[in-house]
Amino acid sequence: MTEKPIVQIKNLSKTIGKKNIIKNLSLDLYKGQITGFLGPNGAGKTTTIRMMVGLMRPTEGEVFIDGQSIQSNFEESIQKVGVIVENPEMYKYMTGYKNLLHFSRMHKGISKKRIDEVVQQVGMQNRINEKVSSYSLGMRQRLGLAQALLHDPKFLILDEPTNGLDPAGIREFRMYLQKVASENGVAVFVSSHLLSEIELLCDRIAVIQNGELIDIKNVKELNVSRYYIHAEPNELALEVLSGAGFPVTAHDKGYLIDTESQHIPGAVNMLVSAGAKIYAVQPHRATLEDQFLEMTGGGQIAETHSK
Amino acid sequence: MLKLIQNEWMKLWSKKTSWIMAALLVVILFASMGITKWVNSSMMVNEEETWQEVAANQQANAEAMLMDPNLSGQQKDYYEGQAAIAEYRLANEVPAFEYTSMQQQVIDAHAMLSLVTLFTVIIAAGIVASEFSQGTIKMLLTRPVKRWKILTSKYITTMIYAILLSILTIAVSALAGLIFFGIGDGTFLVWNGSEVVEGSYWIEALKMAALSFASVWIIGTFAFMLGTVFRSSSLAIGLSIFLMFTGIQAVYLLANYEVVKYYLFTHTDLTQFYTGFMPVPDITMTMSLIVLAVYFLIFMAVSYWTFSRRDVTA
Repeated sequence: MTEKPIVQIKNLSKTIGKKNIIKNLSLDLYKGQITGFLGPNGAGKTTTIRMMVGLMRPTEGEVFIDGQSIQSNFEESIQKVGVIVENPEMYKYMTGYKNLLHFSRMHKGISKKRIDEVVQQVGMQNRINEKVSSYSLGMRQRLGLAQALLHDPKFLILDEPTNGLDPAGIREFRMYLQKVASENGVAVFVSSHLLSEIELLCDRIAVIQNGELIDIKNVKELNVSRYYIHAEPNELALEVLSGAGFPVTAHDKGYLIDTESQHIPGAVNMLVSAGAKIYAVQPHRATLEDQFLEMTGGGQIAETHSK
Repeated sequence: MLKLIQNEWMKLWSKKTSWIMAALLVVILFASMGITKWVNSSMMVNEEETWQEVAANQQANAEAMLMDPNLSGQQKDYYEGQAAIAEYRLANEVPAFEYTSMQQQVIDAHAMLSLVTLFTVIIAAGIVASEFSQGTIKMLLTRPVKRWKILTSKYITTMIYAILLSILTIAVSALAGLIFFGIGDGTFLVWNGSEVVEGSYWIEALKMAALSFASVWIIGTFAFMLGTVFRSSSLAIGLSIFLMFTGIQAVYLLANYEVVKYYLFTHTDLTQFYTGFMPVPDITMTMSLIVLAVYFLIFMAVSYWTFSRRDVTA
């Protein structure tokens, strides 16, 4: 990509005591792109994110937002960032509106109109004047998103944003983030250990393990076109498919073949005319979990469910 | 900065504790004055002391104190003034305020500022610590505002709250005094060093309150530092209050050692220079102000240093 990155992480390292928590991590994030940040628990996701927003100081290296360093130019760079660190912790004893008013006062030039606009955007207009302590987790999450969007950031950073949300809530949140990324051209960086969630949400995935970035992949590249065919008798099916030149691997009760969709009717015809009984033909996607296990060497798989 | 203070002020008054403490202060002031009136009226059976007798006693007492060869210069000035005022009253038939008058209650209102110290400690200890315990600190520090500005806004807000409660103390004392005792006869007199002149009891009340506020201020600042450093309001409140009580006692233990002059609690009560009651007689107002300022700077430096450098992991 020749486009200038919005966020540049350069050789970031963090040492606490004698332990190297983050080792020389570099990563670029681009406009309109949602990047997932994946890693087992304790891999250093949260530490990395805290260094990116100035909550922790890196031992070495720097983070640049739109060309300005978070470490040496904090005020200028952080105003372009919207942050949700873990569950958005709000002032529970105040109303949602007062919470937003509070945060808006800490930025330059956010009008009351802008607050109302954001409230509309996240669909909170009916409950905004109630105390946050009466909100459900989903509502708090929306309020968290509202506070992160108030100042129209160029970069949105989220740490475990769907922790504790129900499936409907997760889905809504996902759609919303994708909308913000594509319509406003915001770069989004999401850390999570929910693999399936990251897979659905992100364009790109960065994998961290033991404080080191071990892989960056585009999600679309991950989806090699692959089909699962189950036909009886098995030997006949194998003979026909490999005879036709498809790369075949055994999987479950049948076989996986790597091919494009236009070759499927032909393959089915061949199997039928060879006298095989077809039980199933379906597209097969290797799940992110399989790939994640492959990348991290399998040993330290993070839970696929919330903590 | 104004917007940040506005924010802190909004958060402060959104918490029930701030209201409860202000209400408690009003209730306690009314109650204590009510009790004073009750105790006084039930003792009225005894023969009343006339103001002349009181003044004569004061004069005798002050003169007796002046005989003491160990008296410091400050105390000597004070008792000379007392004796002169009492003499003037008797010579010119100018009675003092009765104890059971609104005016005298206003003058004595500063004694109740110890309550304000307690409430200020609670606010000061929690204003930073609660952000950490609620996890909102992450939201607060990822804004385009430098950390020292956030800490400053919190400190200023705490002090505004303390000042507000102090003013409330005087105002409520006046109101309760008016309701329970009414305006009494008498004249407030001051010794200006060479002669006895009439003074305003309101100015006297404000002066004493301002002097008492020094202790609210420095102990509040101490609690603020502890809350910032330990991020736990209960620890900060407990430690501050514990030190507030034991610290003053320690003055008497240390009284014979030179080190007492540099000890914080020797200097927290600035009213001592106007009441003659000095545990360590050979200190001066200037010295106290310098010692308080040095402690203040240390407390502030520790707070700012830890707050602006800390890695937020909460």
